[in-house]
Amino acid sequence: MKLTAQIALGALVYFTMSCGSMQDVRLYGPSKSTSAFEKFPYKILFTSSEEDGLWGLKNNACKEISFETTNSYIGKDHLHIKWNESSCKYIGIGLKWGNYKGKNLWPILATAAIELRVRIDSGALSNVPMFFILEDYGGNQCRTKINYLDLEGGKIDTEWRRIRIPFQAFNYEKRGVNMGNIKELRLEFQRKGDLHIDNIVIVPHTHNYAHTEDTFTKIFDTHPIQIGEGKEYWWGINPKYSSNIQFGSSFKNESVIVDLDASKKKAWDTFGFSPYQWLRVDLSSIYTTSAITFKVKAAELPKIQAMLFAYSGKKRKLQKSLNENHFIERESGVFEAYLPLKSLVGYEDFRWDVLKEIRFKIMSDEPFEMGDFRLIEFRGNPKKPTKWRGI
Amino acid sequence: MERNINLFVSLVFGMLYALTSQSQVGKVEVTTNAAGHFELHRNGVPYYIKGAGAKDHFDLLAKSGANSIRIWSTNNGSFLDSAHQHDLTVALGLYVRPERSGMDYNDEYAVKGQIEQLKNEILKYKDHPALLVWGIGNEVDLRYSNFKVWETIETLAKFIKEVDPNHPTMTVIAGVDPSKVYHIKKHCPSIDILGLNVYGSIENAGANLRKFNWDKPYIISEWGVNGPFEAKTTSWKAKIEPPNGVKADQRKRRYKELIEKDKERCLGSYCFLWGQKQESTATWHGMFLSNGKPTEAVDVMQYCWMGEWPASRAPSITDIHLDAKNWQKEHRVAPSTNVTLSLDYEKNNNKNLEFSYLLFPEAFSSKIGGDRQETPEKISLEIIEKSKSGIIFKTPKIKGAYRIFAYIKNFHGQCSVANIPFLVE
Repeated sequence: MKLTAQIALGALVYFTMSCGSMQDVRLYGPSKSTSAFEKFPYKILFTSSEEDGLWGLKNNACKEISFETTNSYIGKDHLHIKWNESSCKYIGIGLKWGNYKGKNLWPILATAAIELRVRIDSGALSNVPMFFILEDYGGNQCRTKINYLDLEGGKIDTEWRRIRIPFQAFNYEKRGVNMGNIKELRLEFQRKGDLHIDNIVIVPHTHNYAHTEDTFTKIFDTHPIQIGEGKEYWWGINPKYSSNIQFGSSFKNESVIVDLDASKKKAWDTFGFSPYQWLRVDLSSIYTTSAITFKVKAAELPKIQAMLFAYSGKKRKLQKSLNENHFIERESGVFEAYLPLKSLVGYEDFRWDVLKEIRFKIMSDEPFEMGDFRLIEFRGNPKKPTKWRGI
Repeated sequence: MERNINLFVSLVFGMLYALTSQSQVGKVEVTTNAAGHFELHRNGVPYYIKGAGAKDHFDLLAKSGANSIRIWSTNNGSFLDSAHQHDLTVALGLYVRPERSGMDYNDEYAVKGQIEQLKNEILKYKDHPALLVWGIGNEVDLRYSNFKVWETIETLAKFIKEVDPNHPTMTVIAGVDPSKVYHIKKHCPSIDILGLNVYGSIENAGANLRKFNWDKPYIISEWGVNGPFEAKTTSWKAKIEPPNGVKADQRKRRYKELIEKDKERCLGSYCFLWGQKQESTATWHGMFLSNGKPTEAVDVMQYCWMGEWPASRAPSITDIHLDAKNWQKEHRVAPSTNVTLSLDYEKNNNKNLEFSYLLFPEAFSSKIGGDRQETPEKISLEIIEKSKSGIIFKTPKIKGAYRIFAYIKNFHGQCSVANIPFLVE
């Protein structure tokens, strides 16, 4: 066949096939939208040393960095870092990422991730002590580390494994980082390691994990409040080992009968309870106008030391020995105790938003019962609790 | 035909291997004896844990009468193999990130990632013949605020129950308090044993567990001398460390009077640390020196585990003085002046003893919970005069906080060490 005939036949076949794959075109159809990810201009952070995209490459006693040309994932070379932090406080490198242009990550925060490829020379690891840090132009930094869920194959070995670091995984809210003006990405290394890194890029990524709320705080902001409800929140009462302190029944709510065995007094002379289910109890809005009150059924007033504990803070314990000024005899042999929180020495330094426990140490040998613990409003003189007319 | 024969032979060997490896897996369970006391049984036989937190010196550990080691993570599987070679079992730690390391237990991504990674580790090691018990988390409660961490502990414990019926589950806490006991009881029903890291607080640990209504058994997962966090400090915040001799007595008493005596609940213990680490000082918890030489604490542990002292015992420094004031006092000295460091020690039948002294800048650290600390570099020590009971040395020219260490070594390399912090002002 002559050349002209071949061209003519080819053209005929081409046009015939093209007609078959033609599509309708709407004159006034919706314009093709560009996603936020597509619009984001700084998708490549590192693919080879030619880009001049890194800083912190100078070798020292703790890190040895080279660009290796063999067995790269992409480009003419890749990054190889060996580190040992034994004599250095910080080991890291930085990625200039778009030559330090301010990057607005907000539009892609929920839909993109940093992706990179890593491998080691031998063996297999499930993690490396390596952190990813985003720094904004205010110098604020947020960080995250490799998560098993986004580590290809669940391990780092001699294959180029894909790692994804979702932007959502960075603790930017906690650290106050402006994700609308990110300067650079840093890679920080701890302890000891040896890693090949290549192809650090931004990719689309769906991150289906939430940040849940703290549900372990109970706020008390009104009066009166019954405290220590539920025997499972008490301790110091275990009949298998001691009969010194046992649950009683003289009062409407939880109470204990105390009858110390003088010979074993030291071992079981204390009990305590959580104000509310061993959660952190937040009294911060009412502690200055609150008192703990409870009832005592006794032939004579017992000697009792009260202690309050916080879950955290510099001052975690407050204590007070109760005396006759704390008690009113309501009927024969039945007393009410009042302990204003402001009467506890050092109460200003106590974390009233994380109250943990109320504890009592018994220093009397005579038997008695105490219970029905409540937090009530108290606006009197803390030094003379029973003189206030409000109780 | 040949292919079929090969297949058949492979199948037979495969089955044999599977059977052999199955038979090597120890069946470990928590049970109660006739007296109602908890016991750990391994392959049907009562197994009382005589253990140490250890990553090294397994040979001496086994010779000293121990039967188990505790390690804190699955980072290095060779520890299990090595322990097995020495006929030691392993309380294998699953490293659950504590909140203080930056872990956020409200972050579902971080939580799920950690769980999946650790599940993988469980599957990897569950059939190891040295495995005794799983230690799920170590001191995750230390300065924590988010109780959700207990959900992670339970998820892992429950997973172990599903895939590994042969090994009990333990979670390890930093000291005991009623809120922790409550949360573990409530949120972690799949935990069989409570591990207690207790130093000074070992004195009341058993009683407190009963008061706090912990109704399962426990293991003293770390114990030893009072930790730096419990120690007295000088006015310049240097921790005051007792000499080895004082610490040895404390170890012996705690083992004999507290651990061994609780037959009802305590399944055994792991002393800390069969090795060396920097924790305020280089000698606080470690039973070995940084050069690998054993201290008298090793002898004490042999006495505890076997009931007899080794044939060759380390010397024992019982007291140390700087210018006649002992280790419990504050020591302030002038720059470039001669001061006397003197030792009281017991020779323990050693004829020839070797003395050495080292000077360091004080290593202040704010790290807690056994987190890694930097070791300071030693500095030049100018010794003016040496005697059998100490030295006269010249204090540094530069003002600051220092610590001087005295070492006594016998012919076999067994050591005793003591130190004194001092301030040059």
